[in-house]
Amino acid sequence: MAGEKLDTVAIVEEKDDSPKIKNLSDFWTFLKKELKPRGNIATPFNLISLPIMILGYIFIVYRLAAGLGKPITNLNQDFPWGLWIGFDVVTGVAFAGGAYVLCFVVYILRAEKYHAIIRATVLNGFLAYLFYAGAIVLDIGRWWNIYNPMIGNSFGVNAVMFLVAWHFFLYMLAELVEFSPTIAEWLGMKRLRKILGSLTLGAVVFGICLSTLHQSGLAALMIMAKNKIHPLWYTEFIPILYFVSSIFAGLSMVIFEGSISHKVFGDQIDEAHHKHYDDILVGLARICSVAMFGYFFLKIILLVHEHAVPYLNSPMGYWFLLEIIGFVLVPCFMFAHGAQQRNTSTIKFAAVITMIGIIINRLNYTFIAYNWYVPLSQKYWPAPMELIITASIILTEIWAFRWIVNRMPVLKEPPAWARKLH
Amino acid sequence: MEELFTYTDIFATKGVEYLIIIAFFILIVAFWGLVNMRPQ
Repeated sequence: MAGEKLDTVAIVEEKDDSPKIKNLSDFWTFLKKELKPRGNIATPFNLISLPIMILGYIFIVYRLAAGLGKPITNLNQDFPWGLWIGFDVVTGVAFAGGAYVLCFVVYILRAEKYHAIIRATVLNGFLAYLFYAGAIVLDIGRWWNIYNPMIGNSFGVNAVMFLVAWHFFLYMLAELVEFSPTIAEWLGMKRLRKILGSLTLGAVVFGICLSTLHQSGLAALMIMAKNKIHPLWYTEFIPILYFVSSIFAGLSMVIFEGSISHKVFGDQIDEAHHKHYDDILVGLARICSVAMFGYFFLKIILLVHEHAVPYLNSPMGYWFLLEIIGFVLVPCFMFAHGAQQRNTSTIKFAAVITMIGIIINRLNYTFIAYNWYVPLSQKYWPAPMELIITASIILTEIWAFRWIVNRMPVLKEPPAWARKLH
Repeated sequence: MEELFTYTDIFATKGVEYLIIIAFFILIVAFWGLVNMRPQ
């Protein structure tokens, strides 16, 4: 009898409740069902975010129709890079760096400890590229020509933007392939899941190669502005600084986003994973602290190498010191202390400080330390419409992330049939 | 005439860079120990 009972339990556990999609009609029926909102719609987050998003979409349409000038942006010939490039694109890409770092740790170094958060991280990276790097459309004056570097109408192989465009495009494809097994599991497509699962490792290797190149490739834009960027920030090694900083920027984002996800989507995560999560945070904090330690010394060496030490005793110098001490060295030791004491609150706080530091660093390159000799009254300040459009892009990404996590096996366990494939 | 030129002693400058790198290699060992130290 006991044996019969155990068998029944095993059958119940492995019951396949995946959708049975056999044709296009089944797919549409399933998709329509999934598109319907779940739970209470009138939450405080929805009520605040929805009006901002709608307003942002209206401004986006207005910007695409009317161009980049006032009143939409405060950009001009002296300050061609503003909030959209500085925050949405350059900072957004640094924050998305967690995906390639974690993929390297999990798939190449085989640190299985981090496997539990790999899907959420890859999804976060993919959406970051889709929305933030996608926001590059807003920054291109003749945005309707954006496909030219892809189709060869005008490749523009001498332009840094050619490199950036192709890297972004290929990396988004690589991340989509990495995430595609989750989509196949959601759709219940077993055969497709098997094929896509076999592509993961190749996509990961390809994605890591692309990431190391385009994280630094973005900095090539800054290299062209030698006479405009303050000597404390300008160096021919900006690409290396961007690449190294993307390691701890991305992992800080993983800590920040993961901590929020664990609270918001806590019901989807099993108890074992909850307990295991502190170990993951401690491991990530260790990686962050060592990367930041190296980055700090790189900054010091370049300070000497570029003969920029005399500039330290100036207002811009104090701003530079605040960036590298307050937002690099301090969180570096906070991460180290948090990892040593296994104090997750310190680790989370250090992640937030690091993220603020990365935002400051990237904005320094795009408009704060850029044209630094211009009087404050003539400096660039983001226009209200720029801020609202940026907020709407971030909120749309959060909505997309929430929709996917609530439907696909991102944080929750994959279906039994998919687990058997491992 | 002399003040019109700024002489940079490249060897002295490189020396500082080497010293920073040596300091980094020494300190990274201590830092690694700190990060991996068992909690009290």
